[in-house]
Amino acid sequence: MNENDMLEPGRERIYIDGDEAHFERVDITTVNMHMFDGREFLGLEPRRLFPMTGAERYITLLDENGDEVAVIRNLAYLPEREREVIASCLDEYYHIPKVERITSKTEKFGVTKFFCETDRGECVIELRNIIHQIKLTYGIRVLFLDNDDNRYEIPDIRRLDKKSRALLDDYL
Amino acid sequence: MDESSFEYLRSRALGEDELLLINSAIYEQERIMFVITTDLNGHSRYAVNYFAATDTAVYAVDERGKSERVAYDMIKSAHVKRDYGNAILIIEGDEIGRRNFVRFSYKSASLFDAAAQFTETMAKGETGIYDALGVIEAALERQRAFCPKCGRALPRPGAECIYCQSKNKLVAKVAKYIMPHKFVLLFCLVLSGITTATAMLPPYMTKTLVDDVLPGGDLSGLNTVVFALIFAYILQYGIGLVRSYLLRVVGDNIVRDLRSDVYRRAQYLPMKFYDKTSTGSVINRVSGDTSTIQSFMLRVTQEVVVQAFTLVGIVVIMMAMNWRLTLLSLIPVPFVVVGARIFGKKIRPYYRKIWRRWSAVTSILTDSLPGIRVVKSFTNEKTATKSFDRYNDEWLKTDIKSARITIAFPQIVSFVITMGSLLIWAVGGRLVIEDPTFITAGDLVAFISYTSMFYAPVTFFANFNDSYQSALAAAERILDIIDAEPENNAGEGKKLDHMDGRIEFKHVSFSFDRSKKALSDVNFVIEPGDIVGIVGTTGSGKSTIVNLLMRFYDGYDGTILMDGVDIRELDMEYYRSQIGYVQQEPMMFHDTIFNNISYGTPDADVEAVIHAADVANAHGFIARMPDAYDTVLGERGTGLSGGERQRISIARAVLKNPSVLFFDEATAAVDSETESLISAAIERLISGRTTIMIAHRLSTLRRANKIIVVDHGEILEMGTPEELLAMDGKYKRLVEIQTMSDKLNRDRDELGIS
Repeated sequence: MNENDMLEPGRERIYIDGDEAHFERVDITTVNMHMFDGREFLGLEPRRLFPMTGAERYITLLDENGDEVAVIRNLAYLPEREREVIASCLDEYYHIPKVERITSKTEKFGVTKFFCETDRGECVIELRNIIHQIKLTYGIRVLFLDNDDNRYEIPDIRRLDKKSRALLDDYL
Repeated sequence: MDESSFEYLRSRALGEDELLLINSAIYEQERIMFVITTDLNGHSRYAVNYFAATDTAVYAVDERGKSERVAYDMIKSAHVKRDYGNAILIIEGDEIGRRNFVRFSYKSASLFDAAAQFTETMAKGETGIYDALGVIEAALERQRAFCPKCGRALPRPGAECIYCQSKNKLVAKVAKYIMPHKFVLLFCLVLSGITTATAMLPPYMTKTLVDDVLPGGDLSGLNTVVFALIFAYILQYGIGLVRSYLLRVVGDNIVRDLRSDVYRRAQYLPMKFYDKTSTGSVINRVSGDTSTIQSFMLRVTQEVVVQAFTLVGIVVIMMAMNWRLTLLSLIPVPFVVVGARIFGKKIRPYYRKIWRRWSAVTSILTDSLPGIRVVKSFTNEKTATKSFDRYNDEWLKTDIKSARITIAFPQIVSFVITMGSLLIWAVGGRLVIEDPTFITAGDLVAFISYTSMFYAPVTFFANFNDSYQSALAAAERILDIIDAEPENNAGEGKKLDHMDGRIEFKHVSFSFDRSKKALSDVNFVIEPGDIVGIVGTTGSGKSTIVNLLMRFYDGYDGTILMDGVDIRELDMEYYRSQIGYVQQEPMMFHDTIFNNISYGTPDADVEAVIHAADVANAHGFIARMPDAYDTVLGERGTGLSGGERQRISIARAVLKNPSVLFFDEATAAVDSETESLISAAIERLISGRTTIMIAHRLSTLRRANKIIVVDHGEILEMGTPEELLAMDGKYKRLVEIQTMSDKLNRDRDELGIS
């Protein structure tokens, strides 16, 4: 089936595979898109369609009403300059600190606290329900959703140091 | 607010350095009204930054003291933009443009919602600054309504946290289930004392047999000893039988009480609990975990005492017989005790893991089996089986890993104990051979018997840790339900003499999680008897309005008033009993049609039920069924069509005779003919009652005298249908689209195109 089959006229999705467009950053999370066929779309916000399972695949570009204008199939296919613009917007929009080290852990009054070093600095992950707030996916990736709905991730637990692994292992 | 004694508000106590940093950024003549600390800097890295509001401007101050100032008179609007895992306070104005003012994680998002509201109010100059500060004060107050220890929401600021309190009173909680059976348990303990004492007789008699009876050829002595032993064993096993039976009865009672309690509590848990918890894991807690705790309680109240008696009794007898051999037999004890501690530490995470894996397996069962029609219609049996197998294999792997420890430990302990017995044989045997006056052969045989009996309680206490750990893990999960915050004031609170049905939303904002606002500053009034239609596209927030009105979620900002009273102050049971709620996909239970109709009104008499069914246009099809009102529906109402289920659900509402009615897309999933039957039923039901109807099909709103158009969680338009049509806005566009679509359908029907 064609990617735009069964869509009403005027609602065809624009897929961006390579050098069809030039992106201009206008704000920390928004870009203007100038397509080489002459079309222009202003104030678009790039968002991941698969924020957990595919950080670089299928990036949707939403206008200020939240309506989709285009989809970038894969960031890796874009020219380097365009890729950087989109990637930096995504980096600003998505705050998912990557845990690099767990320095200590406490369990008190039903709240488990992990004291962590992340790629965005030191933080404390507070979890009230370890059964539901820690998820292990693909056997190596750990996702935390803390009591305030903030997200954190450990992309590959095999890369953690021994102490961090030991502190975390009881909960996986 | 008292202006003279006003001290600035802050989200937490500020240190001197922090105050200095903030003060150095602020203009001299300005007065700080409040300060909110953030946890992220502008580059989305963890750092303490500050948002300060003075009487004339707002400031963003970063960790190095670099600041940005915007005066209120330059601001046109302020709002919080929620990104993923972080949010930004955005300030806009003609001269300043659009500024990303401060960034923060979701932890302080609700405080910044209030800060945005304050900033906008100040910018518009609508009220005095001290009145505007009310919103900040309320937000801080809400923040204080959380337990400082565990962060759970408290029923009111300063209230005692039921979770923290109960955690410390775990023993008392467990005792609650044991107390009703205390006399039986005490009686069982007395019986245990007798059996324990009788169990200590045989080794001593064996000693007499070996030392006196057999060497002396005393036949009558032999008979006496044998009969005494027979009597001792009859007593021991007879009493043991009675005791086991009584303990089984007590145990079953405890598990029944515990299960009922968990189930009862689960009924009163708020919707947000079920939003985040799979039903499979709740079922697991009601079934598996309660049994684990029950067996642990019996071990604590019975076995611990019995085994302790045995241990002390045997040590005393052994010491009296030969203290040196007794000390020798104690050599393995430290190994067993230390081993048990190590074992406990290793095994506890496994119990958690096994539970998690098992919970995943049960979740698949509870998800896929009720949805078996969908599975079959998509020929997805293989995928479903594969997915189940994957989780089942995960469980198997974890269970086998834990089995390595759980099985190895008792074997090692038994081995150490056996070695201890061999040591006694070696040393004691040597003593019997070398100096029979010091210890006789009978003494040694009796001693070895006592030693083996002595290790039974030692092994029990060594393994006790195992069941303790397992029970602890189960208790954690049970407490998650028993101690979870129930829906606010279920069974307490105000009751109105009569509910007229005047509904008012005042500045209501709500989000299911902190990442996206489902409703944003919603305000409207519905007068008694009004029939109000709420329209909007999917995901616009229509159902959320009804969810809040039903009090499925109480954690919203602003106030919802029913007849002028905050609905959070009303008794939940009373409040919901006054409301009729008809959903898009009504839930039916595996019970008779009669019981399904009288679900919310169990005392209703037969004729009232029949009348309700008649009003709901359901009586006709029910009467045609072979078993009529006695027809037992399958799970989730299988056996009835969607329209039939809907009419039964309307009959439920008719029978309830509520003051207020909510219809959530009641006719969305049925054909036109059924829709007209349902619409007729609805019209009969709503007359004279305040009614809120959510509908995609605008034709179902023809009786509505007021329409609210919702979009992106905000009210876009509100008024009579005529007013809205005259406004030429979203409602008019929706009407036009629907008219075109209806015309198209009619044309198709006429041309016979399906």
